[in-house]
Order: sequence, then C-alpha cells, then structure tokens
Amino acid sequence: MIAENTQTQMRKGILEYCVLSIISRGEIYASDIIAELRSAKLLVVEGTLYPLLTRLKNNGLLSYNWVESTSGPPRKYYTLTEVGKDILSQLDQTWQELAYAVGVSQEGAKS
Amino acid sequence: MEKTIIINIGNTIIHIEESAYELLKVYLNEVKQHFVNHADDLEIVTDIENRIAELLTEQLEAEKKQVVDANNVNAVIAQMGRVQDFDGAEENEEEPVVTNNYQYHAEKKLYRDMDERVIAGVCSGIAHYVNTEAKWIRIAALLSLFLGGAGLLIYAILWIIMPKAKSRIERMEMKGEPANLQGFQKNLDEELLAVKEGLAIAGKHTGSIFGQIGIFIGEFFEWLGRFISGTGKVIFKVIAGFIVLFGVLFLLSLIISFAAFQGFWDSSVYEYFPFSIVDESNRGIILFSAFIVFFVPVLALVLFSVRVAFNKLAINKTLSFALLIIWLVGVAMAGYHAAKISSEFKQHAELTQTSDLKLNKTYVIDIDRSKYFSKEDSIKYRIDANERRQIVTDDFENGPFIMPNNIRIDIEKSATGATRLTQKYESQGKTFQSALQNAQNIDYRYALKDSTIVFNPRFQLRKGTIWRNQEVRLRLEIPVGTKVILKEDTYRYLNNYGTWECGDIENDKNDYSTWIMTEDGLKCIAQLKEEAVKNKKLRKELIDLEFLQKDRTADSIYQDSVSNRINEVKEQLGIDKD
Repeated sequence: MIAENTQTQMRKGILEYCVLSIISRGEIYASDIIAELRSAKLLVVEGTLYPLLTRLKNNGLLSYNWVESTSGPPRKYYTLTEVGKDILSQLDQTWQELAYAVGVSQEGAKS
Repeated sequence: MEKTIIINIGNTIIHIEESAYELLKVYLNEVKQHFVNHADDLEIVTDIENRIAELLTEQLEAEKKQVVDANNVNAVIAQMGRVQDFDGAEENEEEPVVTNNYQYHAEKKLYRDMDERVIAGVCSGIAHYVNTEAKWIRIAALLSLFLGGAGLLIYAILWIIMPKAKSRIERMEMKGEPANLQGFQKNLDEELLAVKEGLAIAGKHTGSIFGQIGIFIGEFFEWLGRFISGTGKVIFKVIAGFIVLFGVLFLLSLIISFAAFQGFWDSSVYEYFPFSIVDESNRGIILFSAFIVFFVPVLALVLFSVRVAFNKLAINKTLSFALLIIWLVGVAMAGYHAAKISSEFKQHAELTQTSDLKLNKTYVIDIDRSKYFSKEDSIKYRIDANERRQIVTDDFENGPFIMPNNIRIDIEKSATGATRLTQKYESQGKTFQSALQNAQNIDYRYALKDSTIVFNPRFQLRKGTIWRNQEVRLRLEIPVGTKVILKEDTYRYLNNYGTWECGDIENDKNDYSTWIMTEDGLKCIAQLKEEAVKNKKLRKELIDLEFLQKDRTADSIYQDSVSNRINEVKEQLGIDKD
C-alpha cells in the first residue's frame, strides 16, 4: 500500500515531464501520446491525459490545432509553445539533477 | 434483438444498443462527476467525449457493423480508464469535494415501479420513495377508494404525472440505491446540461401533458388487456360457466314447454291472453317460430360461454351460420304473423241490443260469482249437475291471468221513464265485416228474476272465435226515484260510483249499499240522509242567527261576527247571500 502510494506519486511527478518531452518532438495527437507513454511502460489511461493536457494548455505551455479526421470528430493536435519549450528545458535540468540525486543516493557519491 | 438508440456524442451520430447506452451513460456521468469541480471541466469532458466518439467510430469501422454494443463500450472504457484511475495526474483539488458531492446527491426520485407493479406501479413507486413496503401503500389506496372514489382519481393523476422507471439509472434513483452516478442528476439544470453536452435521445422527453395522457391511456388499455387475460380471465370463466349451466337449463325448459304446447292439447291454456289472440290453424307455426326466436340466441350464448369457459370451439363456422339463418327465418315468420294478427285489429264494430225490463220500485243488482262451466269443464272438475251442495266460485283476483273479457256496467237516469238495459258488443277485426262477425260471436247472459238482475261478470266467445279485443258494455236506464241495491262485488264492474264510500257511511258491515236514482244521477241513500240531517241543523242555526241579528243593533263588532256566520251557513246550504 505504502509502496503503491509512493509509486503513484513518482509516476505523477514525471508524467507531466514525459508528456512535454513527447510533444516537444513534434505535433502530436492525444492518443498517440498515450501510445508513446505505453511503449515507455509508463502505464496511464487516456482519461488521465485529458485533464493534464487541458491544464498545460491553459497554463500556456501547449497550443493545439484542429485537424480533420476520417473517423469521428476533428482531432486536437498539440504542440509546445515558447513558454512550454522554456519550461521543458528547465524541467530537463531538474531531471538531470534528480537523476544525479537518485544515482548518488543509490550508489554513493563518486569521487 | 435489442432496441437501439441514436446518440449524439462529440457531434457524431452513433447507433447504440440500449444496454450499451446505459453503460456509456453511467460512465460519462461518472466522468462528469469526477471533473465537476475542476476549473476546465467542460473542456476536459468535451475532449473525452470526442475521443470516445472517435474510438467507437473506429471500432464500428474495424468490425464492419452499424450498432455499438456493450463490448465496444467496455473496450472504450478500458482504454479511457476508470474514474478511479484518473486520480494519478490531477490530484490537487477534487478528492474531498467529490466525496461530499456523493452524499449530497444521494436523493430519491419518484418513479413508477414497472417491475413490482399491480396496475401501473404507482403504489410501489411511492413505497420506494417513502421507504416502506408497497403493501401498506396499496392497502391505503384500497381504503381511499371508499372515500367517495377519491383514491381512484388520485391514482389516475399519479399514473399520468409519475414517469415510468425505464432505465437502470431511473430504477436506481427510484430505489435510492447507492450508485456512483447518483448525484449527477441533482437538478434540472444539470440534466439540461447533460442534454446540451451531447447525450440526448431523440424523443425521450415527450414533455407535453397530452403526451403524458396518451401514454396513460395506452398503458391503461395495456393493463386492461393484462387484467382480462390474467385475473379477469378466471372471473369471466366462472361467469361463463354459470351462463352455460343456466342457459342449458333454460333451453331444456324451452324444449319441454314447446313439446307440452304442441303435444298436449290443453285447450284451457288458449283461453288466456297471449294465446287467445292466435287463430287455431296458425297456432303450430306461430309457436314454432316463437320457439326458434327464443331458442337460437340462448343457444348461441351458451355456445359462446362454452368457448370462453373451456377455450374450446363448441361449434364450427358453418353450423353457426346455419343457426343464424334458422333464427332469421324464425324472426321473419314471427314478424309476419305478428303483423298479420295486428292487422286483424284494424277495424272496429259495435252491436247494440236493447231490452225493456219490467218496471219496479227497487232493483237489486248482483254479480254472478259462479263460474261458467262448459261441458268439458264439468267433466274435468267432476261437477254433477244433480249434486246441489256443490258450489264452485271463481276467484276473481288471484287467477293466473287477467281475463280480458270483463264487462262494464253504467247505471243512468232513464229519459223515458222505463227501465231499459242496453247491451253494446264491440270488437276489432280486419274488416268491418269480420269485426261485426266477431262482435256477434260474443255470448253474454244476464238473469232477471223479479226485481233482481244478476249480471255475469264475464262474457264468452262462441267456439271458433278468437280474441279481437271484444268488449261488452251494459247500460241500465232507471227512472228517477227508483231504489237500487248494489251487492258487494258489483262495484268492480260499475263505472264512476264510489260504492266504498257509501258502504262506509252505512257503517254496518252490510254486503250491499242502497242507492236512489235522482235528477242528478244515482245517489247513495245513506249519504243523502246524512246531508239532510246536516242541512236541518244548519237551517236551525240560521234561524237562531237571524234572531240574534235583531238584538244589540248598536254593537257593530257583534253585528259583524253574526252576519259573517250567517253568510257561512248560507253558503253551506247553497242559499244565495244577500
């Protein structure tokens, strides 16, 4: 139970960073993001993604274009804004620091 | 086979099976509930709905089918994730609020329970709402029927206004079951929102009261149908059983009486009314057609009841058609004879016979109470003409039928001073000739013995004559001043004389009353005597009053009261006032 909680917290923490990273590689549709996350073994359901995307968009990190679809309604294709790119680079740096922190925590500081 | 619904989700029209729709609706309600306190709930839900629409469309294309079923919806839900799985990303604000919401929305709605209904599910619906057992509500409803039927009206109104619990959601709302979609339809606003957000079913909300009444009428007849085929069927069968039983008995008695009429030629029956009008030669055919007219419909009723009671066709179509034809023929025959007989009443003829009687000071008028016996009757009742002690009297009033051939007697003042008896015979007939013939066939006798006239109360028709409304009217003319003694039973046959009153005045239980012929007609002697006594008293009073009037002329009040009384007395005596 405790382990699960922590796992959830950790996944939550990096989910936003991963999503931004995926979008930074180019215009992408929400379900494609899910597919990427699944292949990265970061298992989430689509329902989780929509509120996240909406929040990021409203915070100005993302923008989207409507693209006509052959099946069903038009799709929202997301891209990073300048603000988003800026924040992503900050997060990149933070991730480096965290990875270092985790590495140090596990193996001890390298002299 | 399953009912499909057309939904509009993410601006896409999708055909969906009802069960799948329920599933999807629950899921979307959960989703909406989950994001209800989220700042961007509308956008998130729209995104999710769009995605669901896309996923469903993709599945339909992939599976090459037209209608979404429950498996498709489950697949979509698996991909989109359960609400419980949503928590991962947006943990900040919603959790505690949502639990509050669940409690807040745990309210019941009033629906008709179609699963546990007796008539329309009104009672069990109310029972769910007020959290009690349906039987108590039903007992209350039954009792309310005795309050002038108010319960019935209330029931009908509730039937109209309470919606049916059709879907699973509605059933859950009705029972107030804890469900994670519970609070969604908190109020009308949210319901409207739900519609606006794209989950609308065409024609779901009939809305107007006329629509509701239409539904009510439809359901009422549906219930009636169920009642007739269910509980009612048993009742109908019991009724049908009784009809079969009594119908068969009736048919048997009809057959027996028909045979009796045809077979046993009991001639005395034909002297009574319904039979007496029928010509002897036509009797058989008329009887037969009358038999058919009654027999066939009763038989048809019995056969129909057999069918209702035992679910068996007792008779095939050809046979029933033949029965109908027979009945119509019977009706036609009966109608023909009825018309023929009634045509024989068309003309009227009278025959008068006058005879002068011996002049007498007093006449005794009596009615012959012994029955007229034919030779056959005498044999039947073993009446021996030589046996003097045997007296057979006729019971006038308690006979089985009212004899049509009674006589009427008028007693009038003689203009010529002679006593005269006029017998007037009347009859109907097809032509004047036949009417006259019928009148001539009346045989009436009276006996005159000294001053006693004994009238026979009945007249006879000569053999072969049939009843054509024959009547005998007797007019007895008596000179003024002649006394008439009317014997007890005479009043039955006399016109316009209050013989009872006269008997009352005489006060003793005489079996006769005494009358006298005056210029103004026949008067009761006792009554005249009484009047004479009264007049004598009044005259005496008048003389006294006139004497008083001469006294105390100065007293005007006294004079007024005396003259008033004088006028009163004079009026009673029939003297003209001054």
